Amino acid sequence: MNTSHQHTDAHTPIEGRDEAIEFEILETAVRELSIAKGLFSAEDHRRFMEWYDNIGPTGGARVVARAWVDPQFKQRLLADGVAACKELGIDWMAPTGHGTPSDFTWLVACENTPKLHNVIVCTLCSCYPRPLLGHSPAWYERPNYRRRVVRWPRQVLAEFGLIIPPDVEIRVHDSNQKTRYIVLPMRPSDTEGWSEEKLATIVTRDTMIGVAVPRIDWTTTSTPSGQARAE
Amino acid sequence: MSSTLYAALLQSIRAHAPQERHEADLPLTISQRRAEAMLHVVHDLGGQPDGPLDKSLHKTALWEKRTHCTAECLAWRGVWVSEERRRRENDLGETLYFGTPYYARWLLAAAKMLIDKGHITPDELIAKMEEVRAREEDAA
Amino acid sequence: MSKFEIGDRVTVRNLPALFHTRTQGYTRGHTGVVVGLRPKWVIPEDEAWGRYEGRREPFYMVRFNQRELWPDYGGAVIDTLETEFSERWLESAAAENTAGKTP
Repeated sequence: MNTSHQHTDAHTPIEGRDEAIEFEILETAVRELSIAKGLFSAEDHRRFMEWYDNIGPTGGARVVARAWVDPQFKQRLLADGVAACKELGIDWMAPTGHGTPSDFTWLVACENTPKLHNVIVCTLCSCYPRPLLGHSPAWYERPNYRRRVVRWPRQVLAEFGLIIPPDVEIRVHDSNQKTRYIVLPMRPSDTEGWSEEKLATIVTRDTMIGVAVPRIDWTTTSTPSGQARAE
Repeated sequence: MSSTLYAALLQSIRAHAPQERHEADLPLTISQRRAEAMLHVVHDLGGQPDGPLDKSLHKTALWEKRTHCTAECLAWRGVWVSEERRRRENDLGETLYFGTPYYARWLLAAAKMLIDKGHITPDELIAKMEEVRAREEDAA
Repeated sequence: MSKFEIGDRVTVRNLPALFHTRTQGYTRGHTGVVVGLRPKWVIPEDEAWGRYEGRREPFYMVRFNQRELWPDYGGAVIDTLETEFSERWLESAAAENTAGKTP
């Protein structure tokens, strides 16, 4: 074969690295060909990359904290999630002007109560409220969570360290169509007098998926022992 | 290894082998039950038994982030839609669906879609990959 | 006009799936209650196969009792699951019963 490098049985791995480079090469090729063919522009891709870097669970935390301190806002959030997010500058229409192709623009906030605990999954792929929570944790995308949480929710939550009493209903939301969901957790009782900003620090990603509940000693920046460190 | 040891090893392997084996070797016929199992829609996982959760976190690699954005840009500009992408991920088959990182599915589905729809040819893609590979090797 | 209203008991049609689906196998043939109405969207059966301007139908949020979905459900009897369906996947639970079909 007459190429610039020698083919042997396999491509030579980079020294000291065992991870496949094949996907990096394919990704670059697909992206560069798509741009060269005019399917999208380099500027489109740059804008999406910028959007990608700007989303994260602090957006969701701000929404939850506002709902905790402002009952009218909470009602608006429950009635029309996308419009309520816009009030806080979280735009479900970004970055294309009509939303992302995979996240759509229909948000339902699921309110936890003393008698109801909500948890989110997408068994068929990994639909997730990206504009509010950023990118999903790896366990959310992987088959094990998708397989089990719809059928054994109490066991799966227990593996996250969350024991739900039997007199509290667990409601699983399997996000299988266009709607995206976020859990609106209960405000811990010992947070009277906290500012909205301080409240937002205890609203972690997992509390908005529903595999955890907010605790005053667990903030978005602390790492409780035994908990996996955020990436 | 002596022949007696080898025979003992074989016997031990047989003792651990499943009762029914399904060799992927172009069987001449298969049972209806097996056909239904093999035609099960790959991504429809809800309710399947599995072991304890692996809660390992993963630092998203640059190619994964770029793949996300490429797939979304292709949809933004009308080349495909996300539901079509998901169907094409299933079309990759069980081995690739479950055996590669999450965004590899997106990427393989996107590459095949571009060829299917005539936006690129397979030889163009291969030539481009070789060009990228050479570029990476020069940089390394 | 939507065919079903909030509060209606509906059964998910028990049709086989091939290649791709947005109607999970574990819901087919099971009965729940409509708890939410969604706007009309193109059905996934068309979107998935490249018919982007395909058939549009209302979607419904249906709540199931977990014991209805999983006969061996080991959690609390009050536990529920919600998921969505396009209109074509649902039939009135009452109509199904009079037809004598069992899920």
